[in-house]
Amino acid sequence: MIDNGLLVQMLIGALLGVSVYLPLAAGQLSLATPAFYAVGGTLAALLSTTWPALGAGADGSFPLASFLLELLLGGLLAGALALLVGRLVLRLQGIYLAIATIALVEIVRVAILNLPFTGGAIGIFGIPQPFPTAAGYLLPALGLLALAGWVCQRLEVMPLGRAMAAIRNDELAARCMGIDTTRVKLTAFVLSAVLAGSTGALAAHFLNTWNARQGSFDTAVTMLAFVILGGSRSWLGPVLGGLLLTALPELLRPVGDVRLVLFGLVILLGPSVFPQGLITPGLLERLGRLGERAEREPQT
Amino acid sequence: MIETLLQTLLNGAASGGVYALVALGYTLVFSVLGVINFALGALFSLGGYLTYLLMGGAISANGGLPGWGLPFGLPFPLALLLAAALTGLASLGVERLAFTPLRRRNAEPLLVLITSLGAGLVLVNLLQMLMGAEGYAFPATALAGLPDAVVLGGARIRSVQVLLLAVCAAAVIALTLWLERSRSGRALKAVAEDATTARLLGINSDAMLRLAFLLSGALAGLGGGLIGVSISLPGPYVGIGYGLKGLAVLVLGGLGSVPGAIAGGLLMGLAEALVPGEASGWRDALAFAILFAVLLLRPTGLLGRRLVEKV
Repeated sequence: MIDNGLLVQMLIGALLGVSVYLPLAAGQLSLATPAFYAVGGTLAALLSTTWPALGAGADGSFPLASFLLELLLGGLLAGALALLVGRLVLRLQGIYLAIATIALVEIVRVAILNLPFTGGAIGIFGIPQPFPTAAGYLLPALGLLALAGWVCQRLEVMPLGRAMAAIRNDELAARCMGIDTTRVKLTAFVLSAVLAGSTGALAAHFLNTWNARQGSFDTAVTMLAFVILGGSRSWLGPVLGGLLLTALPELLRPVGDVRLVLFGLVILLGPSVFPQGLITPGLLERLGRLGERAEREPQT
Repeated sequence: MIETLLQTLLNGAASGGVYALVALGYTLVFSVLGVINFALGALFSLGGYLTYLLMGGAISANGGLPGWGLPFGLPFPLALLLAAALTGLASLGVERLAFTPLRRRNAEPLLVLITSLGAGLVLVNLLQMLMGAEGYAFPATALAGLPDAVVLGGARIRSVQVLLLAVCAAAVIALTLWLERSRSGRALKAVAEDATTARLLGINSDAMLRLAFLLSGALAGLGGGLIGVSISLPGPYVGIGYGLKGLAVLVLGGLGSVPGAIAGGLLMGLAEALVPGEASGWRDALAFAILFAVLLLRPTGLLGRRLVEKV
């Protein structure tokens, strides 16, 4: 039931979940991830189909090095955009920030739909493939996720990550402690955008076609659901949420049209059942203690 | 020249009226609960489909139910009002499923955002499952008896646009009068101001909350029916776009402000109507560009109150 294609989709979901999680870890509810995802994907789709220097073959093949370069460029462009936009929107708080980022997503969507070179409603298709099968995408997707996880894990002990947690708990108190809250929030926002941009570049090749629908309000909702249902207190939460919720509609395919209703029900009722998400701080603590015990007790 | 401008402005005001209805729907719930009901766009769709069904419109549900329809057809005004009332009831259901469980356990407001979005997702996909993904145009007899267009000061306006404007204006005036003059309207405002004090004064704040949801859903349903008859129902997702525009209007006018929602709606409709035809593809971005500018220049909206940060 779960084939390689679905596995790659699930990993993309997990990556996007982490991208929504990063600003949230600094207490900022940003729904901008689909905008950055769309920007990264559009860049990769445009470059690989129009720039011959990247070496797209007539048979639809694509050199691995160019693919990796696009992941980098997609991330950089999204990050630069985030740096620009972040300075403006991060002055807003709570629901205002959420609405401003929804506005950003819609502006990017309409722009991609209407710009003369992005293929309009049909989009860009025939994006060349660096790998012959879907299985090939597993490795770069896993690599990106491992990198994102490593960064998040490092953040827990780095001053930046501690500052993010402090802002999340109490922004005013954090500022009084001398934390440059604007800079910390902006850094989290840019990190989130870089991850989303690279993921978009990967997804554009994987999906083979790219259009404005890839980054819409709907996707923003789904990505936020990854974080909320997975658990927003650790990066493992959005990873689990992204994997599960991306797989769910596909696994429900046999039940037919009801599947999206069921998916909606999960999002509707999930937070009442698991208000802290699936991965809670308590669960992590228990896992941590188990780990310690395993270290202390010699293997028999 | 003047005629064209007048025509454009009236068309803009008509769609602005619908934006105002949606924004008022958000405002009612926001002023009482301090959260945004993201299911409102889906309720808008529901209102449109219910109006269509109650008028005896046939559905095909992706070919599953070819030509099925209610055995009776109500005249448009009746169908519109009944559909709005039913949408209000559906909105109560949203409150019960998406808001009450979390409110009872004092959960983070962020969770309500997700659950209300989930409720909207369920509604839209139920509509898609039951009614199909195809679009429906209202029967031509919907507005039988009305002339095709009226001439106002030399400008030809589709009479359905005039109807739209009139119904929106009537709904907005009725709501404002109710809030200002009636006992229950004032009670709602009292709960919005301070729920604890309102409870001490003997106001049943839970009942007021349900009333806010009922009215909010009814306003969205009214908007859906009006858009259905004036344009068409392109699919179950029709309300999502209006829901998002309503959100932009809400911020434009100031969260929780009734006059702000009305003024913001009109302003947004007029601004969109003034976008020249060649750039019509960009029209949908205009609302959000305005929203962006307003958020940056005046985060409390045009007519909003400054929120004091509590330490």
